[in-house]
Amino acid sequence: MKVSLNQVKQYVDFELPPVDELVARINAQLGGVEEVIDLADKYKDAKIVRVVECEKHPDADRLSVCKVDAGGDELVQVVCGAPNVHADMWAVWLPPESVVPATYSDAEPFVLGARKLRGVMSHGMLAAADELDIGSDHEGIVELTEADVSAGKSLEAGASFAATFGLDDTIIDIENKMFTHRPDLFGQLGVAREIAGILGHKFTSPEWYTAAPEFGAGEGLEFEVFNDAADKAPRFMAVALKNVDVKPSPLWLQCSLVAMGGKPINNIVDATNYVMLLTAQPTHAYDYDKLRGNKLGVRMARDGEKAELLNGKTYEFTSDDIVIVDGEGVVGLAGIMGGATSEVSSETKNIVLEVASFDMYAVRKSAMRHGVFTDALTRFNKGQSPLQNDRILKLLTMSVKDLSHAVEASAVCDLKSGELTTTLRNVEQDTIFMQDSLIATLDTTPHFVNSRLGTELTLAEVETLLKNVEFSVSDEEGNLPEHFEGTKSYPVLLVQPPFWRTDIELPEDIVEEVGRLYGFDKLPRELPQRSSAPATHNAEIAAKQRVRETLARAGGNEVLTYSFVHENVIKKAGQDVAQAFGLSNALSPDLQYYRLSVLPSLLGYVHMNIRAGHDEFLLYEIGKAHHNEVFDDDGLPAEFGRIAGIYANKQEQRDAAYYAAKRAVEYLVGSVLPGAKLSYTRLDKYNAPDFKPFTQLLTPFDPVRTAVIMIDGKLAGVIGELRASVAKAFKLPKQTSGFELFISPFVRTTGSQYVPLSRYPSVQRDVSFRIDTDVNYADVYDALSLEVFTNNEQRITAEPLDIYQADGADSKTITLRITMTPYTKTLESDGVATLLEKLTTSVVNATGAQVV
Amino acid sequence: MNEIQELEAILLRRVADSSEPREVLKSPEIKALYARIPALDPSERKEFGQQINALKQLLEQAVRDKESADEDAVSEPLDVTAPFGINGTLPALLPTDGGSVHPLRQEIAALIEIFGRMGFVAEESREIDDQYHMFETLNFPAGHPARDDYDTFMTIQKDGDGESLIAPAHTSTMQNRILRKYRDRLETGEPIAAIVPDRVFRNEDLDARHEHTFYQVEGVYVAKGVHAGMLIATLQKFLEEYYGKKLEVRVNPFYFPFTEPSFEFALSCPFCEGKDASCKVCSGEGWIELLGCGMIHPNVLRAADIDPNEYTGFAFGCGIDRLVMMKYGIEDVRHFESAKLDFLKQF
Repeated sequence: MKVSLNQVKQYVDFELPPVDELVARINAQLGGVEEVIDLADKYKDAKIVRVVECEKHPDADRLSVCKVDAGGDELVQVVCGAPNVHADMWAVWLPPESVVPATYSDAEPFVLGARKLRGVMSHGMLAAADELDIGSDHEGIVELTEADVSAGKSLEAGASFAATFGLDDTIIDIENKMFTHRPDLFGQLGVAREIAGILGHKFTSPEWYTAAPEFGAGEGLEFEVFNDAADKAPRFMAVALKNVDVKPSPLWLQCSLVAMGGKPINNIVDATNYVMLLTAQPTHAYDYDKLRGNKLGVRMARDGEKAELLNGKTYEFTSDDIVIVDGEGVVGLAGIMGGATSEVSSETKNIVLEVASFDMYAVRKSAMRHGVFTDALTRFNKGQSPLQNDRILKLLTMSVKDLSHAVEASAVCDLKSGELTTTLRNVEQDTIFMQDSLIATLDTTPHFVNSRLGTELTLAEVETLLKNVEFSVSDEEGNLPEHFEGTKSYPVLLVQPPFWRTDIELPEDIVEEVGRLYGFDKLPRELPQRSSAPATHNAEIAAKQRVRETLARAGGNEVLTYSFVHENVIKKAGQDVAQAFGLSNALSPDLQYYRLSVLPSLLGYVHMNIRAGHDEFLLYEIGKAHHNEVFDDDGLPAEFGRIAGIYANKQEQRDAAYYAAKRAVEYLVGSVLPGAKLSYTRLDKYNAPDFKPFTQLLTPFDPVRTAVIMIDGKLAGVIGELRASVAKAFKLPKQTSGFELFISPFVRTTGSQYVPLSRYPSVQRDVSFRIDTDVNYADVYDALSLEVFTNNEQRITAEPLDIYQADGADSKTITLRITMTPYTKTLESDGVATLLEKLTTSVVNATGAQVV
Repeated sequence: MNEIQELEAILLRRVADSSEPREVLKSPEIKALYARIPALDPSERKEFGQQINALKQLLEQAVRDKESADEDAVSEPLDVTAPFGINGTLPALLPTDGGSVHPLRQEIAALIEIFGRMGFVAEESREIDDQYHMFETLNFPAGHPARDDYDTFMTIQKDGDGESLIAPAHTSTMQNRILRKYRDRLETGEPIAAIVPDRVFRNEDLDARHEHTFYQVEGVYVAKGVHAGMLIATLQKFLEEYYGKKLEVRVNPFYFPFTEPSFEFALSCPFCEGKDASCKVCSGEGWIELLGCGMIHPNVLRAADIDPNEYTGFAFGCGIDRLVMMKYGIEDVRHFESAKLDFLKQF
């Protein structure tokens, strides 16, 4: 939102502070300032001059040698190439050493000089509109006439161009985002009011905005207006004018529009835009003679109805679009853009001016649907008050009459919704306060305000702050609403927002208003008091933190990858895309689906890291998986917390990669859940539950080289190598293995696993068992039944030393080191033998092993 | 059954039985089908051609599946219960000094720790949520223009209300649940004090400064008598603790539907302390715009069955990626989710 300080100055009755200070206050109390544009500096050297003499250049056909009166004692010689230069004209002169305004913001602004052009000395230049950055015209230089200056000003040789045309201005560009809820701040008037408020000055809106206007009864053109969508267009006003002279606007108006970010077109369109920039109320002008049936109205579109809009594109509307229509069809998309057929052009003789209000949600949806975004939409979708429509139509009509000699040719039509009619009937037309449903009176108390701001403002202070921006405030005894019980000792404030503040709905909105006008930086900063009760602990977050720290200690690197994946990642992992939640609007094709499990994301980063020179690594991620058929108790998609890891080694090893991943998982479980018992079942022998999210988790894994892992007898995930097709698709090295575990088993703390130290020496014996190759290691180890023999007398542990199998042999030998620690007495050799005998017998009986 | 369907059955069987399934794609029967097209009546050509193409696609998929299955089938079974393989040794863990926790997660742990000392519990957010939590309970009515400010990822699948599910664009999506979960504390005189540091999503194009996936910490504090000055003081204290030094802070008015009043919160640059005009973090301005915050809107409290006339509170939301980027001078936000070991191993 570009704010012209010259405009602001017209509305306030006090001296504005220096720009730096003003910008700081706007930043602190109104909204973020994006840019400050110093137009006064940009145009500081441009002067109005009278061309006194103009003769052909002796050596150049297209150049003229001019003598201009720049207000000094002597005439200045300027060579000019414009075809329209002539004696006795007013022009704009850029003297030597001045910067061409159009290049003002460039990295290297163009500085004019005094130099010879084809042998004739030229001092500076006479400027065209594009060089002055006030238009795009480069056909000729700007020719000024008395009609170009605003009332009360005149053309004088040597006068400052900027001062004469209002460009001695500073433009403050404030972020639109700050005004999402403020319909009034999209106009200069509203910002002026707010600036007065934050600087502690009383603001008074001009009478044309606050007083109900009187309209004359014009005649001469047949004109009918209708409103067939009153629930979406609470007010629709229009008037016809005749004998319009469409031409370029006077330069002062063009300059003013440009300064506020507008683009001059012709006097009629410029008037509608100027009024919008001043008041935030969008308006529109139609060529009366192009309106079929001499009618203009508003209704919902019919599905499939089409029209070309001002941007030259044709749109097909739906029954959710509010459209402006004439006697035959659509002539505009309401609140967004006018139609091409009824555009005001230089041929136009009669016009219709429209000022209306449209439902902010409906116009926003239409804009989204059609992808059309305009300045009018920006303002309408903040909720412009219908109560200002008549004021704005009056202002617009006056402006158009001033600029084009037009006269009213019809009555002013004012079609209101039933609700609005009721409201307006109940209010005094000359008040800015509405006593009925549109803007509610709010009861509040200084206590309510102070308790939310931490301030100690008095009633009078609150009143002043609000009245400065034209709220009505009275502190008469009112009936306190129930929620003010207990605060009765405080005076009650009856606050009525002015009609343009459609955003004020709640007492909390008054708190914001008071706080902001007072200055949020002045609020007392005190910490909330609380008891010394400890904040509770989130077991899941703590568990995840233990897991990530443990895996880092195991040499792993935690990664965070996207929660969404490309279809190819799912397919390459052998998973089923149809089971994943899909995204309907992702900008990037890499983000098509929520992931079905976490591991496939990691697989995609193995090859890249190996190429980057990392030979051996373990990547892990704590993430979430989703499945589009599985929902939680609240009806939301279930979120499965997972720990996924991938181990890769560029060098092929003798041992399977599986064991490296297994080792990392065992370290993790041993550290986080000491004493937990792990067991493994090969995936192809596991009777997996028919649970789709788990089935999808399994798909990348090779069934004969993968274990389903149980922690204390409960399913906890899988560890394994990837299927050959998956490995190939992700370009994984041969030495790759991964895991995907559930978070849930880790969200608990296990008791101490401390073992008292013994006073007696431990005894170690290595025992080798020869067994069939298809007997598993765990069958042997478990058969030792260590827990059976561990008691008050002694503790027995076993660790693997060796698993040996000769080439081509049909048996293997597992060697375990058994450690026996006695608690009550030193173990003698026959005691050792007896214990060993019991242990080995148990294994032999269970597995058919031979002790060797 | 027409002849194409018959052929399909034959060829699929051939793929299943073949050791070179890809050869089936070159079967003369298929070529013969194509060869017949020119002889057909023009009105039939299109449909016939489409049928052949569909057959080819089906066969190609079958070939790929067969090839994958053949590849996967040669795998040698392992004793998955063993600590290491035949004639192997117990694998060593990777060296601890090469391991690392992700810098964002390290920072989140630090935030949780400081806020924990300040009495805030930590909660996790969701990666997929409904519009009720993301918008409705936060005082964004349906069709509210502020919904546009969040470029939200939407799912193809609809929820029970016929609305798309969404990838939360802020961790405020948890606010209603947190207010409800801890509401009972208010009656015992204890505040609701929670933070939600977690992952959020915005449908943006990626560049060095924009990620579609990033981390945010939401804070919520509700009790009797909480005012806007307390919000500013709490954030100031937190930041002073985080940076280990005294800092200036300031607030600018802002607009969020779920807070009133709303602020944009800035701190004095903790890196150059406003003394370095060439400071890369604050661009020499001396201030860093850090987060959005405000007093919780009464409708948000009401949506959690908390009486806004009895209790008031504040909420804030701060990007975590930016904190980490400023701390280490990380030049490109995309590094965080890049899974590059060259990046990760530095932390």
